[in-house]
Amino acid sequence: MTPHKVSICILLQVYAPSGQLSVPYPFDSISQHNRLGLFLIALTKSCDDILEPTLDEFLKLLKEFGVLYNWLTDHVTGRLSSLSSPDDLFTFFSELRGILAGLETSIIDDDQINLDPNSNLGMYLRRCMLAFNTLSFEGTCHLLTNIKTYCKEVFSPYEMSHLDDASNDPEAPLEYENMDLENIVLQNFTEELESRKRSNERVPFHNHSSKALFSLVEDITVSPGQKVKRNHRSQMQTQPPSVESSDVRTNWQIQGYMSEQADMIEKLGSSFPMSAFESVLKLLQKVAPELHRVHFLRYLNSLYHDDYSAALENLSRYFDYSAGMEGSDFVPPLSCMNNGRYEIALLTLGMTHFHFGHPKLALKVLTEAVRVCQMHSDDTCLAYTLTAICNLLSEVGISNITGIMGASDSHVSTSMSVQQQLFLLLRRTLKRADSLKLKRLVASNQLALAKFDLKHVQRPLLSFGPKASIQLRTSPTNVCKKLRLSSQLIHQFDNESSVVTIDGALSTSWLKNQRKPTTTLVFPPESGPESNRDTFYSWLQSSSVPGSVLQLVGSSYLVSATSWELYGSASLAQSNALLFANCFADSSSSADLALAYGKLIQHLAVYKGYKEAFAALKIAEAKFLSVSKSGILPVKLQLLHERALHRGHLKLAQQICDELGVLASSVTGVDMEIKTEASLRRARTLLAANQFSEAASVAHSLFCKCYKFNMHVENATVLLFLAEIHKRSGNGVLGIPYALASLSFCESFNLDLLRAAATLTLAELWLLLGPRHAKRALNLIHSAFPIILGQGGLELQSRAHIAEAKCYLSDSSISVSEDPDIVVDSLRQACEGLEALEYHEMAAEAYYLMAIVLDKSGQMEQREEAAARFKQHITALENPIKPEDPLVNLL
Amino acid sequence: MGVNKQNCRNELRTAIQQLNDRCLYSASKWAAEQLVGIEQDPTKYPPSHTRLQRDSSSILRRFHCTDEITSTPIAGTSYVSTPVLEEDNGDVDSDLYVLAKSYFNCREYRRAAHVLSDQTGSKALFLKCYALYLAGEKRKEEETIELEGSLGESNTVNSEIVSIERDLAAVRKNGSIDSFGLYLYGLVLKAKGNENLARTILVESVNAYPWNWTAWLTLQSLCTTIDTLNGLKLHNHWMKDFFLASTYHELRMHNESLAKYDYLQSTFGSSNYIKAQIAKAQYSLRDFENVEVVFEELLRIDPYRIDDMDMYSNVLYAKECFSGLSYLAHQVFLTDKYRPESCCIIGNYYSLKGLHEKSVMYFKRALKLDKNYLSAWTLMGHEYVEMKNTPAAVDAYRRAVDINPCDYRAWYGLGQAYEMMGMPYYALHYFKKSVFLQPGDSRLWIAMAQCYERDEIRMHEEAIKCYRRAASCNDREAIALHRLAKLHSELGQNQEAAFYYKKDLERMEEEEREGPNMVEALLFLATYCRAQERYEEAEVYCTRLLDYNGPEKEKAKSLLQAVKLAQSGFP
Repeated sequence: MTPHKVSICILLQVYAPSGQLSVPYPFDSISQHNRLGLFLIALTKSCDDILEPTLDEFLKLLKEFGVLYNWLTDHVTGRLSSLSSPDDLFTFFSELRGILAGLETSIIDDDQINLDPNSNLGMYLRRCMLAFNTLSFEGTCHLLTNIKTYCKEVFSPYEMSHLDDASNDPEAPLEYENMDLENIVLQNFTEELESRKRSNERVPFHNHSSKALFSLVEDITVSPGQKVKRNHRSQMQTQPPSVESSDVRTNWQIQGYMSEQADMIEKLGSSFPMSAFESVLKLLQKVAPELHRVHFLRYLNSLYHDDYSAALENLSRYFDYSAGMEGSDFVPPLSCMNNGRYEIALLTLGMTHFHFGHPKLALKVLTEAVRVCQMHSDDTCLAYTLTAICNLLSEVGISNITGIMGASDSHVSTSMSVQQQLFLLLRRTLKRADSLKLKRLVASNQLALAKFDLKHVQRPLLSFGPKASIQLRTSPTNVCKKLRLSSQLIHQFDNESSVVTIDGALSTSWLKNQRKPTTTLVFPPESGPESNRDTFYSWLQSSSVPGSVLQLVGSSYLVSATSWELYGSASLAQSNALLFANCFADSSSSADLALAYGKLIQHLAVYKGYKEAFAALKIAEAKFLSVSKSGILPVKLQLLHERALHRGHLKLAQQICDELGVLASSVTGVDMEIKTEASLRRARTLLAANQFSEAASVAHSLFCKCYKFNMHVENATVLLFLAEIHKRSGNGVLGIPYALASLSFCESFNLDLLRAAATLTLAELWLLLGPRHAKRALNLIHSAFPIILGQGGLELQSRAHIAEAKCYLSDSSISVSEDPDIVVDSLRQACEGLEALEYHEMAAEAYYLMAIVLDKSGQMEQREEAAARFKQHITALENPIKPEDPLVNLL
Repeated sequence: MGVNKQNCRNELRTAIQQLNDRCLYSASKWAAEQLVGIEQDPTKYPPSHTRLQRDSSSILRRFHCTDEITSTPIAGTSYVSTPVLEEDNGDVDSDLYVLAKSYFNCREYRRAAHVLSDQTGSKALFLKCYALYLAGEKRKEEETIELEGSLGESNTVNSEIVSIERDLAAVRKNGSIDSFGLYLYGLVLKAKGNENLARTILVESVNAYPWNWTAWLTLQSLCTTIDTLNGLKLHNHWMKDFFLASTYHELRMHNESLAKYDYLQSTFGSSNYIKAQIAKAQYSLRDFENVEVVFEELLRIDPYRIDDMDMYSNVLYAKECFSGLSYLAHQVFLTDKYRPESCCIIGNYYSLKGLHEKSVMYFKRALKLDKNYLSAWTLMGHEYVEMKNTPAAVDAYRRAVDINPCDYRAWYGLGQAYEMMGMPYYALHYFKKSVFLQPGDSRLWIAMAQCYERDEIRMHEEAIKCYRRAASCNDREAIALHRLAKLHSELGQNQEAAFYYKKDLERMEEEEREGPNMVEALLFLATYCRAQERYEEAEVYCTRLLDYNGPEKEKAKSLLQAVKLAQSGFP
């Protein structure tokens, strides 16, 4: 029993006074009366919240009743303050019994208001009465003091804030204490927010985290809560939860609150307010020392804020206390009941090491986890552990794992390469998860397999006989199939109406709605802009799909966006990224979201030019609390680098390259993707400075690195780049083998767009060898044209146009002066694109060609114009730094 | 010596009076103990006066040799003399005060406070606030039980604290607060979690009135690092030495603590408190023999003592002294069976008898009486390990560690429990913590090394490092040397193996031990020396091997022949 419940009971009494006529005293009309009823139902539903409103807040809710407001508040406060002795409480509750209709009165008199004991309100009342009746005398006394405190908050709201205000009341000190605490929490929180904002801009700090993996941890130990749409920022403002009321709520409510917070931490990552939440947790721990999940939250909190030792400390503390038994949402097999499930501790520890960039340590721990799982025959945990190992192997660049994974582990034989082992492991894990009916795990394994298929050519592990010849290609259909299967998950969860609702997930969802219970219920819902959202979206919101499932489905869309990017369908990639950003932004982690935004921004940059891309970047940045720690920063650096290269700011480009290189190896381990990106960009910068041999040596070492870590897709790019270097240095003969090698890579990995680019480069190389090869080059260009014009970016298109024009110009069989249009048209398109990209060098070339063509065809006026533009671009290229450039200070 | 005994005596006598007057009974008890602990001049007093001091000379003698060395630097310090407090008196006031004090003595704290509610004197104010504080504490305890729920809620607070703090802060502001008021103020601030201010206030209090031992103890609980201790601005009073000695012990600086106590013993020669404290420090240094002697002494002088006796029971347990432990358990049971220490002693007794369920029951009772009783948690963890109930053991150990993160025994226990569950890699984390806290304990290093050696992880290099540490810090059972030799020979590092086998052999000879290890060492050394073509050495080892029966004898014979053959210069 709490004072808040007592006041609801008082209102219930007002609503249904015993033995009165249809419209009892204070009400004017039936509708007014019904409104109170609806209001009460809303209140009773939100009664299991972790925090109950103070009397003041509660009375404000009553304002909806207009005229009745004064009467109701007076009544409630009057009744509450009249409860001055335990006996008053006793009488109050026995009076309440009177408003329930007896079970024996089967004939319900229409004029009389009786509360059906089985109705919502009736049940609530009975629950309250039962709770009161089971109270001991001490409990009654506590309730009484709580009611006094509760009332005093309204009557003397200012009293508490004055320290020296002497009041003889024994309760005053308590209030003071609580006020103090809440203020501290709030203060900490705002301070932290501010300091974060301040440190926002220039600290290049890359947070290497693998969210998808961590969602798995959540699946095991923390039950998913229902998601309700909220904007990140507003969420933060309501963040510090007050555990201020002196009595602890039920276990249920706290568990619900905690799983919700756990979801938030994982979602927001490092931008979650750390110290504010930490102090709340400390308080909670003090208040409820046996609630061990607090330790888990503290672990999560320190994990996402890169506090290694604290994370480790809290992790071991949590598992020491809970033995892995608390908070897991599946029933462990009976044999484990006595021994605890410490294998989960190992699994979590392994993931922690992984998160902090210690893959070898992580593998050791996970191997031990596998062993312990087998020992205790805990199949579920084994499946999760194997998945974790798969994730580890696929995400971290480990070139060799022999010696780390002991030979004792039967799952992996050491004679195979890492990739082969990974593939086998993935298949087995999928099978295991499927047989255990762990749907989320199956989906996530399918996703992992899709990722694997995307980047790896499948060879049969054993090939016998002459018929073993196989096509050495990746299989996009497999990828597509796996992705589909993975996103099927959401439908399974939708069909299954009995979703696992654990520990108060429901009550916390009421908590969120509580802010406006009256407006939605008392007034008809307003048709604001929000109601016009598309149906899929609202379906996502309303359905009871757990957050982790949504997250998983979201990442399947993200993976498919990446796959289309690789396969060369820009539009499909964009639409997938858009879908993700629109539908899964709320359920996914901020790192995933940053990735999606990054994809969209880069798409804009490539297809629309920098102006729009930077505008979009600005919008995206506003969505993240800390840009420096999010995945947006590398995107920004890439954009700036690209632009600097195009405009010829080589110094700036070099600087940006260095920054990107720093991002690649943060404290939490090396991010191979960014690392390759950084060195590729470095090579490009060198190439732009015409330092061919240096560029080539960087590219060579990059190729070796990629080969070592099995990054074949990246190798195709590197090879193409090497061809490019030779093209720029005018050495076409040497370039052609590289271009051909790149082509064959592209073919086996189905990289269509890159293949078109390689074909284009090949054509350019042929052209370099002399006008004799113009025909061949033209054929090559024309073969690549469909994809280039359909999916290629502005730069690629322009390059193709220029190359085509060059072919025509050097082909002696075609007289340009007679038919200038075949050249001028494509050149004009090239010029437009290049101007949007501010690519001075190539734009100059295009205008130069145009001027020549126009000169030949005798269009003097237009020739002059083109020549002027040519000059303009050349001078811009020679004086790269303009002081008024707004983007220079973006860095 | 540095302290004038007569002055000391006078100061303590006055202090006892004043402390009693303010109902600070445990402080007054402590002061009285020290007063009696000051050695009398035997010529002046008849023997009856020294009843409580008899036979103490033997202990004194034991430490006398170290006394001179350690005390010299301290002896030079000059002590400040703190003026003895003047009492304020008024007839009516003092009548009321006496009434309040009587109520207080009958544990009717609120009544006592009410009687004094209009009084303004600092003495009355103190008693009023102190009574309120105790009333609040009592209510808090009751509420803890009333509100107990499934999650062990303990958010009950002493509801008097805020008003006491307000009153005392006001008095302090206008400067009329006395040292006792300061002590209470410090206590209240500590309860509120305002530790820095509490420390300052308590320092003020003990500087103004050094004889209040409970104030020192409260201050000690706020000094968790050596830096905070060194940061305190304390006047040089002989009470400070007591404080430092006790705080050094808490900070695990046992030798420093022992030196201080030795010095103090020159004045308080027959203080039982100091004796017990010395025993405590020696216990931490694992000097069980001396501890036992001290406790036997103490029990003879003060047979109804329960304080610190749990440590004595630990010593008896370690020495597997059944009768001594049962006698002690019986004694404390008769004296006061509801003291946590008593329960702990009985638990130890049952544990020694192998009755682990009963033992756990008594440890649980001890924890019911004092849930922050550190050693009971650890000992209960040991019992659960014996009962193979590892989750319960882990839980118990973890609680100990959370109460005091420096308890290396509990960390070690945690490691052991996880190792038992087949998670050696996970266990290493705990072993590391434990050796970090107690790097001089070979048992911990050996346990960690054995963990590294486990079949599941086989990290032999690390195991060797640990054994080396163990061997370098006085490994009593001599496990480390043998394991080192064996590991090296397994890894094919014969030179190192020979080195350690030799060392092990020397040690066995020294301690006159025989056994399979001896045979193994001899055999290895003989083979090794032969392979190294050091035939004479090999011959010596072989001949020694011939003394033993078994298959090794035959091997030795054949080895000897081979050696002879090689020696004879046969190509």
